[in-house]
Amino acid sequence: MKSQRPLFWLLTGLALVLVLLVLGLRVGSYTTSYSFILNTFRHYDPADPAQLVLVQLRLPRLLLALLAGASLAVSGYLLQTLVTNPLADPYLLGTASGASLGAIASYVLVPSLTVMGVYLPPVAALAGAFGATLLVVALGTRRGRILPAPLLLAGVAVGALASAVGSLLTFLASPEGSLRSVVFWAFGSFERAGWSVLPYPTAALAISLVVLAFMQKDLNLLLLGEERAAALGLPVARRRWLLVGLAAGLTGGVVALCGPVGFVGLLVPHLTRGLLGTTGRLNLLFCAVLGGGFLLACDLLARLLYPPAGLPVGLVTALFGVPFFVYLLRKTT
Amino acid sequence: MRFLLLLLPLAWLASCQSDSKPAAPVVVHDGLGRALTLPAHPRRVLALAPSMTEMLYAVADTATIVARCPQDNFPATVLSKPVVNNYPLDMERLVTMKPDVVFTVEGITSVDDAKRLQDLGIPVYYMRFRKVEDVFTGLEELGRLLGREAQGHRVADSLRQRLKLLASPPAHENTNLPKVLAITWQDPIYCYGQNTLFTDEIDLAGGRNAVTETFPQPYPALTREYILKLNPDVLLGGSFEKLDSTFFKNYPELKRIKAYQTRRVFAITGNLMERPGPRVVESVRELQGLLRSQTNVMSSAAETFRVPK
Repeated sequence: MKSQRPLFWLLTGLALVLVLLVLGLRVGSYTTSYSFILNTFRHYDPADPAQLVLVQLRLPRLLLALLAGASLAVSGYLLQTLVTNPLADPYLLGTASGASLGAIASYVLVPSLTVMGVYLPPVAALAGAFGATLLVVALGTRRGRILPAPLLLAGVAVGALASAVGSLLTFLASPEGSLRSVVFWAFGSFERAGWSVLPYPTAALAISLVVLAFMQKDLNLLLLGEERAAALGLPVARRRWLLVGLAAGLTGGVVALCGPVGFVGLLVPHLTRGLLGTTGRLNLLFCAVLGGGFLLACDLLARLLYPPAGLPVGLVTALFGVPFFVYLLRKTT
Repeated sequence: MRFLLLLLPLAWLASCQSDSKPAAPVVVHDGLGRALTLPAHPRRVLALAPSMTEMLYAVADTATIVARCPQDNFPATVLSKPVVNNYPLDMERLVTMKPDVVFTVEGITSVDDAKRLQDLGIPVYYMRFRKVEDVFTGLEELGRLLGREAQGHRVADSLRQRLKLLASPPAHENTNLPKVLAITWQDPIYCYGQNTLFTDEIDLAGGRNAVTETFPQPYPALTREYILKLNPDVLLGGSFEKLDSTFFKNYPELKRIKAYQTRRVFAITGNLMERPGPRVVESVRELQGLLRSQTNVMSSAAETFRVPK
């Protein structure tokens, strides 16, 4: 089932993202009109607090949401392809639970949250994410080959263990504030966005998309299963390592910066395949655009529904994503 | 007449006798409007919130306070009492203390836990404080419930008097009262909202809560953008040096707020502000002191700027 109009969908997705970006720029504590936004980008004056807010707070927040959505969606797409399992999502490699454990540990064990001038939670979350991923990959590997089934099970096991340790730390946490931080972090948020944190997810996404642009055919072959892909000349083991590496890089950074935003990595790849077919050439690009647009929309909704801080974005992705997902599921089956 | 005089001690004895009989339980309504049946003179009481424990110590016979919660540290004598965990609630330990009534504050003890305790025959009395005056009426209420009405009134009246002496209305009322933002947590940024006791305390101290919108939650999470818009004159939540190396380092955009620019960033005694108890007047005094010292800092800062390099 291959859609006849992949380019149409891609352009529609891009237009949607643009509209959401503009709408997102208008929503906040300061009232900002379209002409004000335009004027700000023409002659930026950091002395005006409303302009500063627009450029230093709102825009990076929107870009982080866009990058996070795109990264998680692409990562989910890669992992669903790798393990040929529709239930796979970016957190299959234990990234989310590892990152959560890192963040919880920093909130609970280091109340000042700053060590030698470094703000700890995102660093600890990144370390936790990569630590858990390495463990899962080590457990899911036999003689240098990544095996999908053990990888899936190792992901579940490591995830459960990290969650349990995280819950234990949370339970033992004495200051009430730490609990709030942990809960807030667990749902995901873009509130801490700033220009300084954007380079990492941008680089990870750009590198991944460029590498994957040359691998679209290989991804389609992997879907046929290991033996048939190998018979068709694909170096399956090497490709799997590459995919795991890219998925871990894409997910780890996003989780460290935004918390484990759920559902986007599961929903968007399915939606992509539903609209563009299983093996479309523009699938990954569309998946990135759609994922970015989806999180932008969810963040906008979160801020509109519950000002000023907004609902945690992970709640919105689940509350609005799940019914839509179920609808799609019913329709396709 | 003599006969009458002879009768007096007898009458007194008779009244003592009737006192020693257990008085009939009374039905009261607590701060949440829940109907409760309490013994007329509770002999064993405990509180599940540090502020309530402080109130009990101010009004009750201290020998009737049978336990404390882990956070209790004032007055110091409270530390000798056995501990009952309040979060999560140690139901078994609480029951073994056999209290006649348990006092708590809205939001501290879950209504579900209160219901379970009530099913076990232990009434839970909630209090709710929106204004400083609510604390005083709470003390009087406590006096009535514990059969120490006079003590309740005495404490409340003395606090009212102290507050009156303290909170003389500012000469230039309603003009340029400093906007004060009090944060309770840095990541995410939580603060004292409009519907907390802080709003009244800071009013009495000669300032106003920077958060003027009322949010559903008493301690709302704020965005950096929202704080920039508030542009508070004073920030409470830690000393300037401490927040400069943590809060303002993580959120450098917030260095633009007036409070940072004029270094009006202060630490407050946590257990004073957080506890709506008999030390509430002390808390107002502390806030007043900080607001007054900021004026001094402002004028001295202004003078410093005038000195040519």
